[in-house]
Amino acid sequence: MTETLAQPRPKNAAPWAKLGNRVRVASWITSLVPAAIFVAAWLGLQLDFMAALLTIFLPIQLAFGAWAGFYSYGRKGVNDGLLMVVTFFFSTFVLVLLASVIWSVISEGAAALSPHFIYQNNRYITGTTGLEIGGAGHAILGSVIITGITTVITVPLAVATAVYLTETRDGARGVVRTLLQALAGLPSVVAGLFIYSMLIVSGWSSQVGVMASLALIPLMLPTISRVAEEALRLVPSELRNGALALGAPSYKAFFMVTLPAAKSGIVTAVLLGVARIIGETAPLILTAVIANETNVNPLAGGMATLPTYIYNFLYLGDATSLQRAWGAALVLLIFVGILFVGARVASATRVGTKPKRRKK
Amino acid sequence: MNNLNHLETKDINVWFGERHVLRDVSLQFQNNHVTALIGPSGCGKSTFIRTLNRMHELIPGAGLSGQVLLNGQDIYAQAVDPVNVRIDIGMVFQKPNPFPTMTIKENILSGLKLSGRKIDDGDGLVEQSLQRASMWNEVKDRLSEPALSLSGGQQQRLCIARSLAMNPNVLLMDEPCSALDPGSTRRIEETILELKETMTIVIVTHNMQQAQRVADSTAFFLSENGNPGEVVEFDTTENVFLRPKDDRTNEYVNGRFG
Amino acid sequence: MSNDVAPKRLKLRSKPSRTADKVFFAVAKAAGYSSFVLVAAILFFLMLRAWPAFESQGVANFIFGAGWNSTTDPQIFHLGPMLYGSLLIAAIGVVLAVPMAISISYFIAFLAPQGVAKVATVVVDLLAAIPSIVIGLWGLGVFSPVAAEWGRMLSEALGFIPIFSNAVDIFLRSPFIASLVIAVMIVPIIASITREIFSQMDQEIIKGAMALGGTRESIFRKVILPTASGGIVGGVLLALGRAMGETVAIFFVLNLTFDDFNWFKILEPSGGAVASLVLARFNEALDTELSALLAAGVVLFVVTLIVNSIASYIVAKAQPWRKL
Repeated sequence: MTETLAQPRPKNAAPWAKLGNRVRVASWITSLVPAAIFVAAWLGLQLDFMAALLTIFLPIQLAFGAWAGFYSYGRKGVNDGLLMVVTFFFSTFVLVLLASVIWSVISEGAAALSPHFIYQNNRYITGTTGLEIGGAGHAILGSVIITGITTVITVPLAVATAVYLTETRDGARGVVRTLLQALAGLPSVVAGLFIYSMLIVSGWSSQVGVMASLALIPLMLPTISRVAEEALRLVPSELRNGALALGAPSYKAFFMVTLPAAKSGIVTAVLLGVARIIGETAPLILTAVIANETNVNPLAGGMATLPTYIYNFLYLGDATSLQRAWGAALVLLIFVGILFVGARVASATRVGTKPKRRKK
Repeated sequence: MNNLNHLETKDINVWFGERHVLRDVSLQFQNNHVTALIGPSGCGKSTFIRTLNRMHELIPGAGLSGQVLLNGQDIYAQAVDPVNVRIDIGMVFQKPNPFPTMTIKENILSGLKLSGRKIDDGDGLVEQSLQRASMWNEVKDRLSEPALSLSGGQQQRLCIARSLAMNPNVLLMDEPCSALDPGSTRRIEETILELKETMTIVIVTHNMQQAQRVADSTAFFLSENGNPGEVVEFDTTENVFLRPKDDRTNEYVNGRFG
Repeated sequence: MSNDVAPKRLKLRSKPSRTADKVFFAVAKAAGYSSFVLVAAILFFLMLRAWPAFESQGVANFIFGAGWNSTTDPQIFHLGPMLYGSLLIAAIGVVLAVPMAISISYFIAFLAPQGVAKVATVVVDLLAAIPSIVIGLWGLGVFSPVAAEWGRMLSEALGFIPIFSNAVDIFLRSPFIASLVIAVMIVPIIASITREIFSQMDQEIIKGAMALGGTRESIFRKVILPTASGGIVGGVLLALGRAMGETVAIFFVLNLTFDDFNWFKILEPSGGAVASLVLARFNEALDTELSALLAAGVVLFVVTLIVNSIASYIVAKAQPWRKL
């Protein structure tokens, strides 16, 4: 029998794992015990949920967190435990609030949705009319038309501004960037007042759809130009120089090399810009009459949009009105969600990371 | 075949902002010769090569005096369009920079499209350019694949082929092999030796063996104690490496500094 | 070696050489300068129409006085309570939002496993994308009753402290609720800036601090927070600007009181907000009142402009890597 020097691995060959177990046990106790006490107090003593959360759950949780830190790491661990509890508590609070927003829009909105809600308009509908007739079709159409016009005007302007900021060496770029930041912080109601004071008070136009589109321009411009600027800046200067060294005029180097390389970033910029303005309410209330009928002419008559439709019924405040508002909010949130996901997808597909095979 | 490719510089001085970085560089690049520019980092050789096709002026704060004569004509004269200069004098960069949104074939033809020239026989030109860059056999079956599907060395040769499609009189190469493996480097050196039959080549290199392998003449650049860079010695490659006249050249080519 | 006469410097043409290029750069330049035109036009036209109100009310009275009535003679349009209310709500909103934003950023950047962090990031960004009218709807329909109950509990427990006292026993439509709604809206603004700074933080510094025996908490307090504080302050100011400009979300959850300042009783149903005032009075306003509303817009614009400029300056200083 030959003797081997190899020994079977002892069970405790990972001394650090012991600490891990202690931490694990401590975390479980810290999470479960306060929760159990809290639920018991909440149900048993019939306390208000929030009150119980703040006066029972959080203090107990903090105490247990401190204990867990001490148990796992000694005295230094106490503050760690407290930090963890506070962080988790606040993070959870944010996520719960958000979940509450999304969940209420989905559950309340779904109750109001029906096929005719998507295509009918608001004619003959009062605050108390039942949900079996009437819908937000005219508002969906209005949102598409008004944001569409704004997008068509703003995208070229914003991209050209981004080109100005990245491709030229003009001395005023710093000032322009500062002004764009100022515009990014422009309260939306002020944008509405601006168009109102410039074009409507003076009698040039009445409160029609295209005025709303104009009011949205200063809100959309900074979003698109900032994101587009960043996208253009990410294009390596070697590509630009490569094109210039081949004898390209600057405009061709831009359109044939720089712009295609920044395409996904520009698409992201546009989608974020649309998402920024599609939910705007205040400027639209000031610049376009909220119509009840379907109107596709942005130059005459009022026009409703999803946000102003919600505003209108929220203002009326009856039970069915609120239901209509929730329904429209769900539609609006779906639009925003699509734009949001689109922007994520577009910004995830960078040129060069995934070479696409071309078909013949 | 091409006799109109004589390049020379007269008293080139370069500034970045107020900083004087190159002083009185006068060099003649002989027809159908390869000239190597060597010297330690920061001596201004890369800056110098960029003055030869007016890429230099794209850098903010750039300044210049002196003349660059292509066949006797100053490319910095007021009436000259820098775009035309860059068509005549091609350039290959340190880092391969094929256009990522284009296929291999589109990259080859991109110069013609970018400079707004008509393309008569696109396929023929693509084949000819890739042949001259000695990579036709490797890529002839994948011309419509994206340029980024090539390896680094292939990408650099694609960039050479892209410049060749413009049929330049002069080809400038700014450390074209510094980012490549030895095998790719060797193949590019072979390409350079073939290309000099038809054009004048200027190459910046850090690699002194490479200068000895490919260059007919060599210029040694040096910037000492914060002074602007200057040409210390300019002669045939053999003389520069084997019989340097200046002590500093001797020390540099024998690897004592830099 | 003698230094002879300095060589003559050529003027390099950085200007485009071709017509098409000239057009290209001219268009870009025109677009860049259009933001001058836009900002100038906003200020000019608002001021033009707002001037009558400033003139009749007096600038100082308009901004700091109290009272808003179009039926008296002379009409009184004083913005004070609204302006103060905007500041109060924004300030409380920020106070509530900051711990939430920092916690979730810390959670995402340092505690959560990568997958969870990614999801949480998307969720927080999504929160930023929810339109304010939807937040307003949620605030009115779902959140207000709950928050009013919180307010009642606060008042019962801590009513001896003046800010939590409530003499009218109505807890809806208070600045407290408006601030909570605002907090929900600005958490993602502060969180996105804080998160970016946290994730850009040099991991080596943190590892170094750990190697020196630092605990999570001491590293957070002594290394992470001080490094990130500039950016956090900038983000807070940015959020403050946004909060002051918020219109519809506040409009539905706040009772506007024009005549008196509600200095600190945040649980009582009386407050102010400049942007909501515009919305509330706009449809009925005639001549002078309309001019006064536009003047309120001017004041709002100027105040947010100042807050935002300071904020962008601080954020830019705190994130040097963002500059090219």
